[in-house]
Amino acid sequence: MSLPVSDSPEDLRRWRLPRGRHGLPRELVERSQRERLLAAVVKVTADKGYESTTVSDILGEAGVGRESFYELFDDKLDCMLAAHNILVDNLEEKVRETYFGDDPWTERMRRALSATLVWFSSDPDAARFTLVELSTVGPAFRPVFQAAYARAIALLEEGGGEDAPEPELAQAYSLAVGTILARIYEEIVLGRAAQLPRLLPDLTYELLVPFVGEERARAAAEA
Amino acid sequence: MARVGQSALMQKHQSSEMAASVLPPASLDLEASDQRRRIVDAMIDSCAEKTYAATTITDIVARARISRTTFYKQFDDKRACFEAAVGHCIEQLQEVAASSHATEDSPPDAVRKATAAVIGALAERPGLAQLLTGDAIAVDPRVIECYRKATIPALQGLWSRSDGSAQAHSDPRLAFGKAQVLILNQIAIGKADRLPELLPELVYLAVSPFGGHEAALHQAQLAGESTTSHVASGER
Repeated sequence: MSLPVSDSPEDLRRWRLPRGRHGLPRELVERSQRERLLAAVVKVTADKGYESTTVSDILGEAGVGRESFYELFDDKLDCMLAAHNILVDNLEEKVRETYFGDDPWTERMRRALSATLVWFSSDPDAARFTLVELSTVGPAFRPVFQAAYARAIALLEEGGGEDAPEPELAQAYSLAVGTILARIYEEIVLGRAAQLPRLLPDLTYELLVPFVGEERARAAAEA
Repeated sequence: MARVGQSALMQKHQSSEMAASVLPPASLDLEASDQRRRIVDAMIDSCAEKTYAATTITDIVARARISRTTFYKQFDDKRACFEAAVGHCIEQLQEVAASSHATEDSPPDAVRKATAAVIGALAERPGLAQLLTGDAIAVDPRVIECYRKATIPALQGLWSRSDGSAQAHSDPRLAFGKAQVLILNQIAIGKADRLPELLPELVYLAVSPFGGHEAALHQAQLAGESTTSHVASGER
């Protein structure tokens, strides 16, 4: 999941290009540098917190020079938001794969939730970076959070299909997204990201009750 | 980004005392109390405008029209000032909630009224909402425990009063996180002054843990009917 390059030491070594003339086209070098920097900003920010992270930290982790960094990004925030965007795209793809289709809506919701929990649990650094560190970047946080939130709601509405229930609450989908985000956020903060998939039955229930009532939600959660 | 260590606010809320008081000890004179109040107000307003992360002591002293020395007489640092601001907000909202309903109200009615009153207060001063749902969580995510301690026992108490038992339909602790995310999103889209649009959903969240889905939906509908016309389009 997550970024094109993992942040494991092996991958970083593999991606570190030999110094001097390596004969690779400039474009390819830049792409790999960009990817290394994106992987690095996720790792370092998750470790140290956004505020304490410096561009030097990111360069050190990525093995990329300062000049190259500033050719690719305006600053630390620009780099962070680029990485954030890729992660959110990736998560959206996972939800799309599981939610869109012809199976019963409650089942598709449960599967999309499961995919989301697995996504956040499989890479705790990316999880903390995506949800927790974002809120500490200052005013830029608001438009980015809002855009991701709106995307999530639009996705659930778009993929609802014919058997999606007509919710009695006008903003039921917003409530659904809020339910998932709030719980995942808290688990990450408590350092329990890896155990997120265990919450599937409980969260399925919480997620579905506003749409289908307690009985049907319980049945879907226990399925 | 202080994630480790126990903040003063958390300690305070983990003891029996619920809200950090904005008032200085009685020995300090009225002027000091007024200064402290102005500093806390400046912190709230600055967070509303540019978030806690971007707020500096310079911003606060300029807004409060006090000297840096005065600031440091009242607070050790930006973080301590922020915690006083959060405590002050919680205290204010508790008062708003407590005075919003009468003892003869049924638990679901009382919860609807309290929710509406709190949201009304937040809409009047969006800085409070920004501070409590955005900045406070970013500074110390455990602050949500303070909110829970400030509200869940009160909620539970309402239901216990009516039939002697408060059986939970869903986890009341979760309801807080959900409400926080909804409010935060409303702020992020720049519609903090229109928070009452969220009232049906927020009432639903507040009633459902102890009242159950059906009662919560009913109260959400009542809340929708009583708010202004822009909610009406979403009603069925």
